[in-house]
Amino acid sequence: MWRTIVDDRLKIFLDAKLNADVSRRRFLQGAAGLSTLTVLGAGTQAHAADGKLGGELNFLGWDGEHGGNVAKPFLEANNIKMNASFQSAADEALTRLNTGGRGAMDILTPNKDFQSAILKAGTELFQPLDLGRIPTASGLFPAFKDAPWLVRDGKTYGIPIIWGDEPCVYNPKKWDAMPAKYTDFADPKFKGELVLLDDPFGNIWLWATSLEMPEPSRLTAAQLEQVLEAMLKVKPNVVTIGASHGDMADVLVRGDASIGVGGWAYQVMIAKEKGVELVVGSPSVDGTFYWSDAYAIAVDAPNLDNAYGFIDFMTKPESNAALAAELASGCTVEAAYALMPEDIRSMFPYDNVRKPGGGILGTQIVVPPQEPDGDIVGAPSWVEAWQTFKAS
Amino acid sequence: MLPAGIFYVVFFAIPMLCLLGLSFWRAKGFELIPDFTLENYHKIFTSPLYRALMLRTIGVAFATALIVVPIAFAIAYIMRFVFERRGQLILQIILLSLFSGYLVRIYAWRTILGKQGLLNSTLQWLGIIEEPLEFLIYSNIAVVITLSGLLLPLAVLPLYSAMLNVSRDYIEAARDLGAGKLHTLRTVLVPMVIPGLRTAFAFAFLLSAGDFVTPALVGGSQSMLIGNIIADQFRGIGSNWPLGAGMAFVVVAVMLLAYLSVMRLIRWATRW
Repeated sequence: MWRTIVDDRLKIFLDAKLNADVSRRRFLQGAAGLSTLTVLGAGTQAHAADGKLGGELNFLGWDGEHGGNVAKPFLEANNIKMNASFQSAADEALTRLNTGGRGAMDILTPNKDFQSAILKAGTELFQPLDLGRIPTASGLFPAFKDAPWLVRDGKTYGIPIIWGDEPCVYNPKKWDAMPAKYTDFADPKFKGELVLLDDPFGNIWLWATSLEMPEPSRLTAAQLEQVLEAMLKVKPNVVTIGASHGDMADVLVRGDASIGVGGWAYQVMIAKEKGVELVVGSPSVDGTFYWSDAYAIAVDAPNLDNAYGFIDFMTKPESNAALAAELASGCTVEAAYALMPEDIRSMFPYDNVRKPGGGILGTQIVVPPQEPDGDIVGAPSWVEAWQTFKAS
Repeated sequence: MLPAGIFYVVFFAIPMLCLLGLSFWRAKGFELIPDFTLENYHKIFTSPLYRALMLRTIGVAFATALIVVPIAFAIAYIMRFVFERRGQLILQIILLSLFSGYLVRIYAWRTILGKQGLLNSTLQWLGIIEEPLEFLIYSNIAVVITLSGLLLPLAVLPLYSAMLNVSRDYIEAARDLGAGKLHTLRTVLVPMVIPGLRTAFAFAFLLSAGDFVTPALVGGSQSMLIGNIIADQFRGIGSNWPLGAGMAFVVVAVMLLAYLSVMRLIRWATRW
């Protein structure tokens, strides 16, 4: 989820064209065979499609989550032509909806915090799901069944597909472990060693957590200033701010920095492909935050039957495991866990998602309110604080 | 002229007008609210952050143009007057560099300038330095070097084109009349290629000022330019399109002003 909040316009370019050797796409190509084989074991008929399948299916979401390899058997078996386009920012679907795209989108893949913000704001974008048409959703991990960030007024607006966290990723030849707190990165011994992700919310939230703010996602102007001051103490140690997770990985692989803050476990695999060893490990006291992406259906989706059929198919254990493996993320379906490759499965702390009610994913709110709420500043103030940090 | 005019109106004037109109709107949460407020412009002109970034951007753009234009001029001169027969071949080679992707070229510069990059490794191998020169990457210097490398081919083209219209006879006549090389250059050649110089400068200066990818990839933690801030306003949660639109217009105005000032300076300099 968080990897998707940042400038993914760059990520798409970088992953697709530049970092060919270290890209998710390349990794996906390698995993494609495995995925296809795995999914061939799954039935290709959608269980809950009350309507007739066939025709078109319009996808607008993060690259890879359309299941180019995974969904292929289902699409072919049901004569569905998928029109996939990929968003470059979390709010792109909303932009498209408001600029003539209404009635032209079926499947969307919002991340947890964007979808939560949209539902809280009452902004029209997603339609409530008829869970009776997605019976495979009953196999989700407890944390993802009726996940609070996907529910409004008792109605569910999304089916989680992948999840993960944003740990520190570092070079074990230089560091034995990460410090206990993010504020410890201000120590001069980290000079020239850090790369951060260009993510205002993730970074400010981490440092607010480190400063033990009572509600790290709800800061007053004074608290935000305090967080910014703490972050600026770390700034001299920051080599660069990665435009995307792919870019961060590139900086680490080249040896231009040795610690990525707000990283992605997948970067370890990227580095391994390039013959560089990186390991994952967050500050022991502060920890990190979690993300999840979900399948949702846009309001006025023109191909509703196909959309339900697609989601139902992709939520089968085999499909979910294959997609999660392709995207080097955590799976959301309980029975998919056993089907995941061990190296990817071991990257994520599954104990969290076995807890009902959303677990840490449900209670952890990273994104601030969109608009000021009394003394609490809104998201634009966080963006401005982050820009001040970057420009300083 | 009519098709070009229609193209200009449809693909430039109308979008720009829409953007201008948007700059007077407001953003609230995920919604854009039609309005006519000067709030965005007030914020842009009173924010020390935006002012500082604007100055940094102008500085980087000028530095890039000051490197690119003279080098492009020299290359164009060599192509036109020194290796006249090979001019077209050199031109093809220069054009060939444009065939590689923009981002690929930025990454190539990262490979050259990195801590363990080609340049540092070579200097260390030669024993000239013991530790890598860290200012070569993730700095304003890296941004200027990379932008110069990216924009040099674009700047050569208009200069070479302008020089093709300059007959060698003028140069030789000036020399026959006793003008030195520099004097000939300043009083004969430069005034005759002013349109090419203007375009080359515009390419180098304006494209640098508007770039946000290069600073993001090689600029490091302290080299963000105004383009990066504008881009931030158009994406994700917390974005503010009207503010971004206002910033874009202010940048266009400031850069045009700077560009016109330099053009005036060049005209003044070539009178003497």
